Amino acid sequence: MSQDTTTRPEAPISGPVPGGDSTNALSRLAALWRLSGSSTGVLAGLLLLGAYLGATQPIFLTWGNITNVVASNSVVLVLAVGATFVIISGGLDLSTASAAAVTGMAYGLLLQHGQNALVAVAGALLVGLLLGVLNGVLIAYVKVSFLVVTLGTLSVFESAALVMSQGKTLNVFSRPGFAPIYRITNGDVGGIPYLMIFDVVLVVAAALVLRYTTFGRGVYALGSNREAARLNGINVARTTLSVFVIAGLAAAVASLIQVGRLTGASPGVDSTLLLTVVAAVLIGGTAYTGGDGGVGGTVLGVLFLGVIQNGLTLSDVSTFWRGTVNGTVLIVAVTLGVARHRGWLTINRGKKAQSRA
Amino acid sequence: MNNGAAPLVEVRGITKRYPGVLALDDVSLSVRAGEIVALTGENGSGKSTLSKIIGGAEQPDDGVLLIDGEPTVVANPATALRLGIVMISQELTLAPHLTVAENVFMGRLPRRGGLVDWPAVRSRARTELAALGVHVDPRVKVGDLSVELQQEVEIARAVSSKARLLILDEATSSLSETATERLLELVREQGRRGVAVLMISHRMPELYATATTAAVLRDGRMVGVVPLPETPEPRLVHMMVGRELNDYYGGRQVTPGPVVLDVRDLASDDGALAPTSFQVRGGEIVGVAGLVGSGKAHLGMALGGAIPATGEVRVNGTRVVLGDPRRALTAGIGLVPDDRKRAALLPTRSVAHNMTLSWLRTLSRFGVVPGRTERRRVREAIAEYGVKTSSPNKLITQLSGGNQQKAVLGRIFALGCPVYVLSEPTRGVDVGSKSQIYGLLQKLTAGGAAVVIISSELPELIGLADRVLVCFRGAVRGECSGEQLTEQVLNAIAVSGHIHTDDSGEAA
Ligand SMILES: Nc1ncnc2c1ncn2[C@@H]1O[C@H](COP(=O)(O)OP(=O)(O)OP(=O)(O)O)[C@@H](O)[C@H]1O
Ligand SMILES: [Mg+2]
Repeated sequence: MSQDTTTRPEAPISGPVPGGDSTNALSRLAALWRLSGSSTGVLAGLLLLGAYLGATQPIFLTWGNITNVVASNSVVLVLAVGATFVIISGGLDLSTASAAAVTGMAYGLLLQHGQNALVAVAGALLVGLLLGVLNGVLIAYVKVSFLVVTLGTLSVFESAALVMSQGKTLNVFSRPGFAPIYRITNGDVGGIPYLMIFDVVLVVAAALVLRYTTFGRGVYALGSNREAARLNGINVARTTLSVFVIAGLAAAVASLIQVGRLTGASPGVDSTLLLTVVAAVLIGGTAYTGGDGGVGGTVLGVLFLGVIQNGLTLSDVSTFWRGTVNGTVLIVAVTLGVARHRGWLTINRGKKAQSRA
Repeated sequence: MNNGAAPLVEVRGITKRYPGVLALDDVSLSVRAGEIVALTGENGSGKSTLSKIIGGAEQPDDGVLLIDGEPTVVANPATALRLGIVMISQELTLAPHLTVAENVFMGRLPRRGGLVDWPAVRSRARTELAALGVHVDPRVKVGDLSVELQQEVEIARAVSSKARLLILDEATSSLSETATERLLELVREQGRRGVAVLMISHRMPELYATATTAAVLRDGRMVGVVPLPETPEPRLVHMMVGRELNDYYGGRQVTPGPVVLDVRDLASDDGALAPTSFQVRGGEIVGVAGLVGSGKAHLGMALGGAIPATGEVRVNGTRVVLGDPRRALTAGIGLVPDDRKRAALLPTRSVAHNMTLSWLRTLSRFGVVPGRTERRRVREAIAEYGVKTSSPNKLITQLSGGNQQKAVLGRIFALGCPVYVLSEPTRGVDVGSKSQIYGLLQKLTAGGAAVVIISSELPELIGLADRVLVCFRGAVRGECSGEQLTEQVLNAIAVSGHIHTDDSGEAA
């Protein structure tokens, strides 16, 4: 045989990194990364970030700061949990932040009209449900693309919220019906904020639904292969409607938390909220193409963005940077996820390989 | 040494490990110019893995690949293409949103002055396709074509790119008999011209009609290389599965019971299937033959509620609402669609979740899936249907093609339906497992199920079915049973709609 060994791979692995040992360790790390679940990346990122901030910002690891991070990210978390269902099913709800503005307004108006706590909360939830039904019916039964529908309702809901209060912020602090929500969103038991307990319960419930119910399995099946789901008896339309209803209810709950923390219902929609919510879900490893992911990852995604935000605040960086950071993190995280999925980032000896030219 | 004597492609000591499996274990093989090597072995024995390594789609963990006697690293499929290695894979790799012409010339569109020369693309695509006897408009989107036509387009693309080594990984599995015959003739022709061919197929007659050598893999090891038409089939099968296969199709002692499936004037809304009527008794297996586009696939889909249809379908006397897979399933019609990737698999989910998909409604209690029962049933089904996987939690797309099919079949068989409609049920399944699946089918029918089996493999239909309906141009044109159940008769009706022998008269 001709021994033109320039191209013979003498060692099983001859990567771009010199030195057998480090290459091996690296390739093992890379293999581990490829094998790991889709949210280990963020978890690692979160731990690194936490360690860094813990070392550089003495305040970071104080209980007060931690509860602050949790409380200030609960709105995003609740919306993101709802969005997780939608995204796993292969859709996207762009109207979620606007829907929250509408339900917040509904809650505020009901309180201003002297309704008691129960009626006001139930009213907000009902409005959220109806908004979800509106999205869901158009998408699942009229069969309009979810992008078109929720882009449309994004705008409609946003302006509806403004119309409802003539653009004014409704102060509800002095309303008697506001007390329970205020207590829940600001109070604590034995130092643990009610909100933190609520978040944990919500996340666990959502995770159980996704994992152990027929509905949850249907949501995954839908996002993974709609036709296979349909042929195996999954009610595609009803499941699609349901995920948008869940998103609508999540918007209502998120708005209650928002109003509770701000003691007023504002008709304006925070322009970064939608991006933060969707980014959190995707960073958490839920596939934007649907069919893969979960709320566990979403929690990590929310925490990751929340901690970055917290770190910026603690380090006195202007909040104007927030969007830049969130957007960049989104792109980097999803890119890394895609890379793992395609098996890149293995120490690919193929890269250096050459055809015989 | 001189390169003329060296094989075109040779692998030495190739090892490939996936998490939990040793897919290839010290495998060596060589393919010379003009040689047609059949790579055979059971599902999951590593055939696709080996061909992916040669085709540059995967890298070995160990071992060397030599081309013309020179060690070479085939880093990716593009490199392989430059080296003249063209691969047609088990999974279609066409872009569904592009036209046929664009797909045929993907990556090498003829240009003029920097711009793509579209008229040339279309006319050259037309020529290439016509040369292969594929009659399809180059302007159609590939996604709108049937699986078979898509596969033919893929083959046209491979052939037109002037290969030195052609790798066919179950390229014929979604082709009809005639298209298969055309492809095999093409392969022989390429062989005569000095192209080396590595072909993978689970259809023994194809291998015997085409290949010059058979290389047998078992559990990732090369167990032998034998010359082809000479080696008797039982011996080759024995090398593959490690045991004798007696009673290939199995038999059953069933007296057909009452009519279970009663179909009257079933027609698909898109016109691909004209009104069709037939009955299937409990314990009966009825085959459906026909060319691609004859409406046989639509018959299956209409029965399973997958496409809108009119007419009357009754299961055990109860009328089934058409066009709704949920209702069909509830009524007891279990459908296995022919296009596994498009209509059966959840590619992002595990083997377990793919199997449970069909069972959700029967398995769950008040909308909750009982975890322990689910795991147990998945384990049982994996064992019973011989799905080879290192874990139920493995992604379904990481199974070998045949094992994916076994998972899809198993999940439907486990439902215990009164009626089964199986479209190409053994596509990509190895000989041993085929025999096992036939056995399971016989068992289902012995239990009183009515089975409709739609297949492009005539031997399978003849071996299994009590009678065979033949579709031609969208309608059932003939029914054969007993003496008449031969490949000649079935072919004749499939091709012309009637039997053109003198003593004809049976074509309804
Ligand atoms: N990407 C992957 N990840 C993990 N395991 C894999 C992957 N690809 C293949 N395998 C495993 O490697 C083994 C060999 O698979 P391969 O696809 O080569 O089989 P095959 O001989 O082509 O079978 P078939 O006849 O069913 O197509 C199988 O056990 C399979 O599960
Ligand atoms: Mg294979």
